Amino acid sequence: MPIKVLAFAGSPRRGGNSETLLDWVLAAMAEEPDVVVEKVALTEANINPCHGCNACEKLNKCVQRDGMDIYHDKLVEADVIVLSSPIFCMGLASQVKALVDRMQVFRSRKYVLKLPIVPPERKGKRLGVFLATAGQNWDHVFNAAIPSVKCLFHVIDVRDADISYLMINNVDEKGAILNHPTAKADAERLGRSVISEIRKRLNA
Amino acid sequence: MAVTVLGISGSPHRHGNTETLLDRFLEGAHEAGADTDKVVLKALQYSACRGCNSCHKNGECIVADDAIILYDRILDSDCIAVASPIYTMGITAELKGFIDRQQYLWARKFILKTLYFSDDHIRRHKGVFISTAGLGWDNVFDGAFPVMTALFNTTGFEYYDNVIANDMDRYGGIKNHPTALADAYKKGQKVVGVLESFRPA
Repeated sequence: MPIKVLAFAGSPRRGGNSETLLDWVLAAMAEEPDVVVEKVALTEANINPCHGCNACEKLNKCVQRDGMDIYHDKLVEADVIVLSSPIFCMGLASQVKALVDRMQVFRSRKYVLKLPIVPPERKGKRLGVFLATAGQNWDHVFNAAIPSVKCLFHVIDVRDADISYLMINNVDEKGAILNHPTAKADAERLGRSVISEIRKRLNA
Repeated sequence: MAVTVLGISGSPHRHGNTETLLDRFLEGAHEAGADTDKVVLKALQYSACRGCNSCHKNGECIVADDAIILYDRILDSDCIAVASPIYTMGITAELKGFIDRQQYLWARKFILKTLYFSDDHIRRHKGVFISTAGLGWDNVFDGAFPVMTALFNTTGFEYYDNVIANDMDRYGGIKNHPTALADAYKKGQKVVGVLESFRPA
């Protein structure tokens, strides 16, 4: 079975800094044997905000019919889930926040209906990656986004310790990341190490 | 002229815990003599920021929709009370989508230098964040505060106060919370009093 990587490019700006960072990670992953990568651009994925109706607490699925019909299933099937977002106004881009909020279905499944997200034999065999870029050069510019990212991974059964982060600040205009001294090498190293780790776990 | 207080509800859930808390705040402000109004983001038509940075050149957003109209109203208000429940440790996607659209004002302030708020202006304009969370964790609002700071800073408001209540799941809703609604009412009264005190007699 190939290793399945599901990646979300969260920026509304196609080909910008956060997507470039994602592409470097994904290219390094795809160079490894038996890896299938699917990249989804959220700006084209038709994902609406959560309605907050809590119907999923009873139905075990969302009442909305949109792009999440596909991605709720794919999020369960993937071995590695990669999320990338630019930081806008100190938080995730709203497109990414909408995706994270739609994880409510999994939260209901897990905590209200007490049903499994992945079968028991796949527990501990899922990895998460969060990639972010920010125009500001503040060290704390990513801090407010991270708790939401942890929510996403937590409810889809990716453990806190199994999330890797690569966050690059001080890159604003399109293409700025190309001039960053370490981002590309760090991204490629991260891509390879995540694949190596998931392969080890899947074979264990 | 009366003090103007604009409430903005960022919840997709009409008349839920957060909007109820906002309503009490606005009732307190109204009782204290303010002109109050409430805008519900769910009822507006606006798209997410495209990140195109076109506004960095001319200070204008290329998307003309309800978000721009609401920013005009914000800039004309003395106090804004911005409300969102906490979803997955942050504000809702609706409110984040609206706040991200302020980039054209940020560009006017920091790139084009055509928008400037004096310290006195900021002192006379108060921003209040109103929120509820299902979880009882102490840190459940922490992801929202920096985003609200960004909104208030860019629009020339002092981040004046929070009207927040967590642990809604345990209380079974805001109406069962021992103090939140009364506190919201008092805080609404108080901010109007403070803003009126700045005005010439």
